[in-house]
Amino acid sequence: MRELALAALLAGSAARAGVSVPPEARGNALFDQANAAYLSGETSRAVSGYEALLEEGLVSPELETNLGAAYLRQGKRGLAALHLERALFLDPSDDDARADLLEVRRGIVDKLEGEAENGGVEVLSRALAPLPGPAAAVALVALWSLGWGLLGANLIRPRAALGTFAIACFLLAGAAALVAAGSAAAHQLTLRRAVVVAQAAPAREGPSDRAASHFEVHEGTALRIEDEDQGFRRVKLANGLTGWVHAAAVEPVVPSGWSNQHRP
Amino acid sequence: MSRRIGSALFALLAAFAAAAAEEVQVSARTDGDEVALDGTLNLTISAAVSSKGDQAELSLPDLKDFDVVSRSQSEQVAFTFVNGAPTFRRTTVTTVKLAPRREGKLVIEPARVVYKGRTYTTQPISIRALPAGEAPAPKARAQAPPPPDPFAEDAATDPFQDVHPQSRDLVLRGSVDRERPFVGQQVTYSLYLLARINVSGIDKLQLPRLDGFWSEEVEAPQQLVGEARIIDGVPYRAFLLRKRALFPLRPGKVQVEPAEVEVMTGFGMLFSRSSTRRSSQPLTVDVQPLPDAHKPEGFDAGNVGSWTLTASIDPVAVAVGQPVTLRLVAQGRGNVRNLALPKLGQIPGLRSYDATSNDKEAIEQGQVTGTRTVEQLLVPERTGALEIPSLSMDLFDPSQKGYRTVRTDPIRLEVHAAPASASIGSQTTAQNLLAAGGLRPIRLRMTRASIAPPPWTRGWFWPLLGAGPLALALMVGTGRLRRLLARDPAEERMKKARGAARARLRGAEALLEAQRRGDASAADFHAEVARALTGYLTDKQGISPAGMTRDELGRALLERGHPPGTVRAVLGVLDECDRARFAPGGADLTSQEARLERAERLLGELDKVRRGA
Repeated sequence: MRELALAALLAGSAARAGVSVPPEARGNALFDQANAAYLSGETSRAVSGYEALLEEGLVSPELETNLGAAYLRQGKRGLAALHLERALFLDPSDDDARADLLEVRRGIVDKLEGEAENGGVEVLSRALAPLPGPAAAVALVALWSLGWGLLGANLIRPRAALGTFAIACFLLAGAAALVAAGSAAAHQLTLRRAVVVAQAAPAREGPSDRAASHFEVHEGTALRIEDEDQGFRRVKLANGLTGWVHAAAVEPVVPSGWSNQHRP
Repeated sequence: MSRRIGSALFALLAAFAAAAAEEVQVSARTDGDEVALDGTLNLTISAAVSSKGDQAELSLPDLKDFDVVSRSQSEQVAFTFVNGAPTFRRTTVTTVKLAPRREGKLVIEPARVVYKGRTYTTQPISIRALPAGEAPAPKARAQAPPPPDPFAEDAATDPFQDVHPQSRDLVLRGSVDRERPFVGQQVTYSLYLLARINVSGIDKLQLPRLDGFWSEEVEAPQQLVGEARIIDGVPYRAFLLRKRALFPLRPGKVQVEPAEVEVMTGFGMLFSRSSTRRSSQPLTVDVQPLPDAHKPEGFDAGNVGSWTLTASIDPVAVAVGQPVTLRLVAQGRGNVRNLALPKLGQIPGLRSYDATSNDKEAIEQGQVTGTRTVEQLLVPERTGALEIPSLSMDLFDPSQKGYRTVRTDPIRLEVHAAPASASIGSQTTAQNLLAAGGLRPIRLRMTRASIAPPPWTRGWFWPLLGAGPLALALMVGTGRLRRLLARDPAEERMKKARGAARARLRGAEALLEAQRRGDASAADFHAEVARALTGYLTDKQGISPAGMTRDELGRALLERGHPPGTVRAVLGVLDECDRARFAPGGADLTSQEARLERAERLLGELDKVRRGA
């Protein structure tokens, strides 16, 4: 790729000059080039640059957001939705990624009908996802431990203030537990979340091309991966519609490189 | 062979060889010995006979390797005097346009000519068919006129090049300037009347239906204007009756039916007038599909021709809320009615209304040209510089046999706030409408995300949560244990006082049994009973009878709430025991048993009252 060549050229020039280019500087240079290509309307070049950074193993919510926007400009709604979902996974408070994802969903072909399965959990987890789950978990541990400590002190040397502080700590720990639980639920759902990246994919009754197909899913539609077998993935839509599609037609929001570290 | 002419002169039978050689001459030739699979080849067969009236009958050879695209025939009669005697020479020329069916070496079999019952044949001709698109070697067609380039713009093809009217005075001739056009490419259809007699007018001109084409009038003369033409050596007047531009709508072979016209001949009032009806020959147009190679995605098949695309807005600077007109103009050669212009997408800050379209057509040098103007009203809703992006249109240009893209330049529109006076009296004062939506700008700074597992998936999380309550439970448990370990010995003795007293009474009972056997004395028995009672009083009641008189002991017991009867009984038993210990022989076994029972009963009564109660 041209961008990689440019990056290599940059590194080569620096090496000739006796300067070693740290990987972070090289990544930033490539990111700037891809951004410049995007802003000048060369979205194909921008996509190549962003993808090159991903291939180097870089994990960044801004990179995913920009790549999603570039794919959307190219009309590839499936890949756009995938990378914007990844951006939100990395940074649930990213409003820009959320707004762009809404823009992507406006043009999605599939429209789900029927009641949402586990809709309450989904809505709750979506609502709680932007909250700082890891911070809440740490606060939960601290407040919980402090509450028990104060309670113990009150038993040893009874003081009214100790008891009051202990109750306050337990109440705050309960609030932190709610936030952490919501975040954990959202995390669990996201680990199984996927997006259709193929333009259209027939959903079959079994993991075989010969199995009957009763419906098709189109790019950009979000679904849940339930199982995997023989190059097919068993997917479930939000309204409970289930079928087997080719594994290449859907991409998990959390790549295997990330989920291995996230999976509890 | 520099020029492949499959020519043959012969065919006279042996008996009349010399004479017939002069009477009949038959030849066949082609205009080349190579032809591309998508090209055509002209086969010309000439039969010359020395006769005024008799005609030679020609049978075409078996052309199994070729398709006959067209066939025409001409005839010429020459009259000369030879040695004072008139001599006629009739020459019939048949021209067949052939298209090869396959590649490789092909053979045109001999043609047969029958004249006066005799048969004459030409020689077979070898042809090499090349792959489609490959041009034959130049030398192969050195003698033949170059074929018209169907893609050459303004290709002026002579409509009479293969006309051979023979002896006919009136010929209605239809022709097309391209036989293998692309879909959407202009083909010009011309209808001529060839006459070698006077034509005073025409009537009831019936043009073919032209199914499969979009047609436009190019030329429709109101008066007959003749043009001198020499065809096969005979002077003719050629009258253009109609010229139309045809745009093929779909690929494949399309038949153009014959045209018909009624021709009036003669010289008006002085000479007799007559009318005769003539039909033109049918035509076949082989319409080529647009090539798939390099075809842009989503290409509109109507965009064929040579077009330019420009865009402009008027005015280029405007107050917010004031309309501007975007004008998109496509101009060029081709069928403007089929043209699909690009559409302006949603531009944030710019409200767009439905576009209006206007087409103008013109004829320039026989070619249909056109202009499509699309006007769209835009109303800016926010201040600042707005950009109307470049619009692009893919088209197929037949002159280049390829696709290309024409683009407009981006247009900058300056929008400023309306002057204060302009907004006075209006109900709304806000001018800069900032509606949400559209893609957000990309991020220019990149942060590396940590993909560390969340805390609740770490090994320390759950043990740490359990550590607090566990620590408190340990603390409570330890306190209790400590209290258990730190118990008062006096308390312990008090709890065990009853048990210890009963144990002593059991011992006294055993001594009673020993007395019966003679192994113990009554003193031992009473000493044990006395120890049981005093020990109990010491441990349980906290009274030490050893250092007290009976009165003091009695008061102490009364102070602890014991009933006076019980106190008296206790003191009585203790006195009896003392007496029996220190004055032996005074107690029998029965009274000892009774004393033991009383001591046990008293223990029960004493136990009802707690120490300190």
